[in-house]
Amino acid sequence: MKVAMIGWEYPPFKTGGLGTHCYGLTRGLADKDVDVDFYMPKTSKKSISDKDNLHIIEVGEASIYPYDRPEDSELEGNFFESVYRYNDLIVKKVKGNYDVIHCHDWLTMKAGIQLKEKLGVPLVVSVHSTEYDRSGWLYPNQWFIDIEKEGMEKADIIIAVSNFTKRILIEKYNIPEGKIHVVHNAVYRLGRGEKQDIVLFLGRLTIQKGPEFFLKAAKKILDNSEEKPTFVVAGKGEMLSRLINQSVDLGISQHIMFTGLLTEEEVEHIYRIARVYVMPSVSEPFGITALEAISAGTPVVVSKTAGVAEALINCLRVDFWDVDEIANKIISLLKYDVLHSTISAEGEKECDLFTWDGVADETIQVYQGVI
Amino acid sequence: MTSVCFYFEVHQPMRLNRFSVFNIGKTSSPFEYFDNQLNEKIFHKVANKCYLPTNKLLLDLIDQHDKKFRISYSLTGTFIEYCQKHVPEIIDSFKDLVGTGAVDLIEETYFHSLSGLYNDLTEFEEQVYLHNAMVKDLFHVTPKVFRNTEAIYDNRIAKKVADMGYKGIITEGAKKILDWRSPNYIYKAVDNDLKVLLRNYMLSDDIGFRFSAQGWTGFPLTADKYSSWMAQNQGDLINLFMDYETFGEHHWQDTGIFEFLKHLPENVLNHEHMDFVTVREAVEKYEPRGTIDVPWAISWADEDRDVSTWLGNDMQRACFQELQDLGPHIKKEKNHEKLDAWRKLQTSDHLYYISTKGFEDGAVHSYFSHYDNPYDGFINYMNILQDFKQGMKPKP
Repeated sequence: MKVAMIGWEYPPFKTGGLGTHCYGLTRGLADKDVDVDFYMPKTSKKSISDKDNLHIIEVGEASIYPYDRPEDSELEGNFFESVYRYNDLIVKKVKGNYDVIHCHDWLTMKAGIQLKEKLGVPLVVSVHSTEYDRSGWLYPNQWFIDIEKEGMEKADIIIAVSNFTKRILIEKYNIPEGKIHVVHNAVYRLGRGEKQDIVLFLGRLTIQKGPEFFLKAAKKILDNSEEKPTFVVAGKGEMLSRLINQSVDLGISQHIMFTGLLTEEEVEHIYRIARVYVMPSVSEPFGITALEAISAGTPVVVSKTAGVAEALINCLRVDFWDVDEIANKIISLLKYDVLHSTISAEGEKECDLFTWDGVADETIQVYQGVI
Repeated sequence: MTSVCFYFEVHQPMRLNRFSVFNIGKTSSPFEYFDNQLNEKIFHKVANKCYLPTNKLLLDLIDQHDKKFRISYSLTGTFIEYCQKHVPEIIDSFKDLVGTGAVDLIEETYFHSLSGLYNDLTEFEEQVYLHNAMVKDLFHVTPKVFRNTEAIYDNRIAKKVADMGYKGIITEGAKKILDWRSPNYIYKAVDNDLKVLLRNYMLSDDIGFRFSAQGWTGFPLTADKYSSWMAQNQGDLINLFMDYETFGEHHWQDTGIFEFLKHLPENVLNHEHMDFVTVREAVEKYEPRGTIDVPWAISWADEDRDVSTWLGNDMQRACFQELQDLGPHIKKEKNHEKLDAWRKLQTSDHLYYISTKGFEDGAVHSYFSHYDNPYDGFINYMNILQDFKQGMKPKP
């Protein structure tokens, strides 16, 4: 079986879960003797493959960060132009005998649709996030929605990363239920480190990820309990300056550490040494970071509106807006050692169920259904 | 002759309010721990689906079969308190049942607690006396047979129960204590003459767990088929012990569970070598055929048939320890309200919700739990225990 896979990020260049997914999936597929050509935009850090049947093919010069929300002024500017240019280049470059085309998220969908017609092979579309998620359900942009909808409609089958996302596709994009197949994400286990008094937020600093609720919970904890951990906000994004101001206004800035964007090694390190990981996302299709944290023995407090909350048993679930309950759960993890050790041990064990090998198996089944 | 001993456990826990760490040290009364609204709602639901219709059906069946259909109940103190508060007619219908002379009552700890596993058995004894007084007061019955919470049993508990004057005790017919032996006989405890009734878990679970399982080879289970299975059993006694909520609540009415029950007595009595006995009659009628030795506690729960359902992980053991440690302090205070709340916190269900056991059993646990998962159960319960503990400290 030969697959033309179209993405837009791949380690070492990676801004979110999609890059992690593409890495795990393509390697899992290659190990199962599926030939994979992975097409992506050219990046400053060249991606390479050490497997004979997995080729990483960089196309053109575009550097695009599709998770970033374009400013209004840019809406008709470079951002969209480079997207179109990338898609056009892909359509020109992808040639050969493929059994299936597999696209990831809106950025690649235009190319996927055209390639389906050009090569006459089935199109599989993976949805890792929708415009509704990325906008935090506040003013979703119709331009993205239209592209996503067209891609989903033209796809022969859709892979959604969670039932949470599947419901959005059914309700907001009118996609028939039978066309959507859920495949949960997986994790390469990190292993634990020496825990320090750190409560961690890690993610893009956008409305979608709910960092302001993390700061409010920190305030509640610092004001009302004996626990005085360091609250680390790792990542960058358009909300950074607002969040720094918020922590000053709340009078807790001496307990908050903004790290900016961390390297891969730094990310792994902080997962290992954090005592608690918090993911208060407003709308999170999956949330691989929660799996990465628990794979490092760090218990996670996750939003109920996150795909991982439906997949991971050993976690603490909260409503993202319920700051008191987020604080209650964080304090409980800091205060009750038996809670921390049990959830940490059980969660680490549970990570064995989330393998890229399994994701590859399920994805092959999806391919076989349309070939 | 083979006697069928049919016994039902009737219990409802006092479920807890949501109690965050920020509530610790701020309660004015321990009654704030309990979620009265949720408890009342669930009780009314179960009363209508199970207690009222099943009581009525069983009363009719006893009449119809001229008291040849005989059964036993164990009613916990918390259950009776619910009845008194919300649906008193349930107590009346139990009085009617006991009044037929075909119904016996079983002793247990008033609060359905794990006090039988405490280092010091004083609290256990007090809870049994409370239950004894309640049964005597309401139903004018003095039970002769004891059943510990969730059929938890070991040699130490048996000795204590024998010392307290009971003639029999009920526990699980677990393979690990019986080995090749059949549960269909009476046994005796080691070092004393307490008779032990052992639950036939195959036949009991056919009703309790498998009745509505469509993938099961016995499905659909009819009273006729079930009675013929029982008739093929060798032995003196078939002990069928199950939760009363089996009827109408675990298996809803539309599964046909009431039809099954309705036809069970006639189908059993059609076999000439079979009859029904109460637990009291069982221990009077039959003599022990062997001794059972149980150094480590067994129970009727989960696949493991031990106490790991309540004390299987560190969170459960930590709560259990806190709970036990509170005892001497609370008793010194002589505050009735606090003592009562502490005892209601001892109900085993609170620890059951914190179980993290494997998927198969875990599925059963989550069916019975109002928490999102065991960790939420722990946080809530532990927060309450911490508040309770703070309330114990001498005020400056």
